[in-house]
Amino acid sequence: MKRSATPYLFLLPYLAIFALFWAWPILESLLLSFQNTRVSPPVWNLSINWGRILGDAAFWDALRNTVLILVIQVPLMLALATALAVALNSQLLRVKGFFRFAFFAPVVVGAVAYSAVFRLLFNQNGAVNAFTGLELNWIFDPVGAMAVIIITLTWRWTGYNAIIILAGLQSIPKDLYEAAEIDGASPWQQFWRITVPSLRPVLLFCLVLSIIGTLQLFTEPWLITNGGPGTATTTLGVYLYRQGFQNINFGYASTIAYAITLLALVFSIIQLRLFGRES
Amino acid sequence: MKRLLVLGAALALTVASAQSIQGNPNLRGEITVWSWDIAAKALEANIPGFNKLFPNVKVKVLDIGNQATYDRGLAGCAAGGGDLPDVYSVENNEAEVFWARFPNCFTDLNTLQPAASTLRNQFPAFKWTELTVGNKVFAMPWDSGPVVMFYRRDIYSQAGVNPATIRTWDDFIAAGKKIAAATNNRVKVGVIANGQDDEWFRMLANQNSCFYFNNEANAVTVNQPGCVTALETVKKLIDAGIVMQGGWNEQIQAFKAGTVATSMFGAWYEGTIRSNAPEQSGKWGVYPMPASRPGGVRAANLGGSALAIPASSRNKEAAWAFVRYALGTTEGQVTMLKEYGLVPSLLAATRDPYVAQPQPYWGNQRIWQVILGTLGNVPAARGTQFFQEARAIMVKTQADYVAGRFPNAKAALDAAAQQISQATGLPIAR
Repeated sequence: MKRSATPYLFLLPYLAIFALFWAWPILESLLLSFQNTRVSPPVWNLSINWGRILGDAAFWDALRNTVLILVIQVPLMLALATALAVALNSQLLRVKGFFRFAFFAPVVVGAVAYSAVFRLLFNQNGAVNAFTGLELNWIFDPVGAMAVIIITLTWRWTGYNAIIILAGLQSIPKDLYEAAEIDGASPWQQFWRITVPSLRPVLLFCLVLSIIGTLQLFTEPWLITNGGPGTATTTLGVYLYRQGFQNINFGYASTIAYAITLLALVFSIIQLRLFGRES
Repeated sequence: MKRLLVLGAALALTVASAQSIQGNPNLRGEITVWSWDIAAKALEANIPGFNKLFPNVKVKVLDIGNQATYDRGLAGCAAGGGDLPDVYSVENNEAEVFWARFPNCFTDLNTLQPAASTLRNQFPAFKWTELTVGNKVFAMPWDSGPVVMFYRRDIYSQAGVNPATIRTWDDFIAAGKKIAAATNNRVKVGVIANGQDDEWFRMLANQNSCFYFNNEANAVTVNQPGCVTALETVKKLIDAGIVMQGGWNEQIQAFKAGTVATSMFGAWYEGTIRSNAPEQSGKWGVYPMPASRPGGVRAANLGGSALAIPASSRNKEAAWAFVRYALGTTEGQVTMLKEYGLVPSLLAATRDPYVAQPQPYWGNQRIWQVILGTLGNVPAARGTQFFQEARAIMVKTQADYVAGRFPNAKAALDAAAQQISQATGLPIAR
């Protein structure tokens, strides 16, 4: 009796903190999603938020923008990161340490600081227009603003993913390539037949991280485009924040949070079905 | 919608009482004030005068930025009143969300001495609507934002445009084309934050007696005729190629660089121009906003704020003394007008001799007379507790309409009204 209680006593501090700061808010926000929080005090109203979400044009805009970033930015970034990792791993490259650091560095920069810089760069009178001779009003054009967000995210996260993929590359046994070379396989064939399949678990890891990151995306669209113009770069994270902390509608914000959670669940199931079988 | 009383009439009705408050050296302690930009500086400018009457009250003004003041205030109230200052700045349009969701977060100013209700007649009635719930008064009126056109005299005259002849928006568009032609298309006559804000729409809608909601705050009115005209005008201005698109910072950059010849804003923008471009002294002037049709209303209001005292304040008496000194005395209000161009809504202050003086920065024009002269023509409008929600929908609707995604302005606003109604639960007015 006494003996079996010991491990739980050790776990108790953690469990208490977990219950207070994780489990309780998760439960509380579920309860909030069934309340009208725009009156004081909030009242139960099972359908007010869940009934609103499916017909809410702004929610669908936010979802569409988030999915757009998922299907354009994430694959683009992972392809670039893979190419970069192969280049960084090359025998021909000198001062490897410098390049690895240089590509990883953007992650170290504070999100607020680099967002401000990108907003300036893509200003109508900014450096990008000046260097390219374009006269685009990036931030105030729906397509331009989305392009800026995608470029910004790619700049920040490509190097980070490349370093993870590089670690994966270095764990592929060299003799596989030697054997392939003896069999007369071209470098291109080696890449597709050996490198990519061996990298599969690593790429899956990067993909999962990127998808979770995209579903939570907030800082860049908030600071660079403020979700605009209109709702062109409003992501689910931005929309949740607006509802929660600008409109003080915690009930609806909680509903959006649960909708995002459900989406993450769906994406995870799809990923496991597609990639998760072997490894 | 009913017109406001003409300012002159309001003045005549007001008893010409001397605005002064009794000092009290026994009142002691330290109070903290939250505000933003020039509004914070203006409150700071009032501390020396206040300390002559209340030498033992220390006032600390923190400039934490406009959006942050709003966001942190809401977060503080949501957390049950923690982390709030003794005096809190709030824009009138955004005020109602506080009283509706957190009725216990702020002090009812009628419970303090003297009760706020005794100060009622000293301000125009419209300034109190958003600050009052039943018998409770949650904040004291501060400044207002009568809309006016700030223009560059030198650029206008170079292009041969006389601002006195600009009476309607069509005149304004013609003037804009002349200015563009005279400057090789380098100079525009306005900056519209299309897609990021809907300020131009709000100013024009207000001018045409229309707003998101009716003044009873119980119906959506954004698709009424006045708003349709407003939205059409915004598109006309953009389609004419005479305005550039940009936000707050871009506009400041533009007038600094001399690439914009007109800024339309609430009169509080005076301080922003004057303090950002001191080197352009003498080159600027003001004229009333153009009307939607010949002989139409040439006035609107944008912004304007109030001061509230959080219920969690430990020194409400001192906070109330400061609020009454800064906002309730001619001396306090005129200090803020002089230093930072904040337009008083205290009626006695609008009669101060300073208002009639020519202003050197503005080419010796008596700009405050021009600006305050419009105040009596401003149609009433009410933010309601759903202001931010309606605004987000309208920003998007305007951008879509300008991009040609609706057949006409009425269709765009019908769609907006539908969305606002769905988001707020309020019906659309017939």
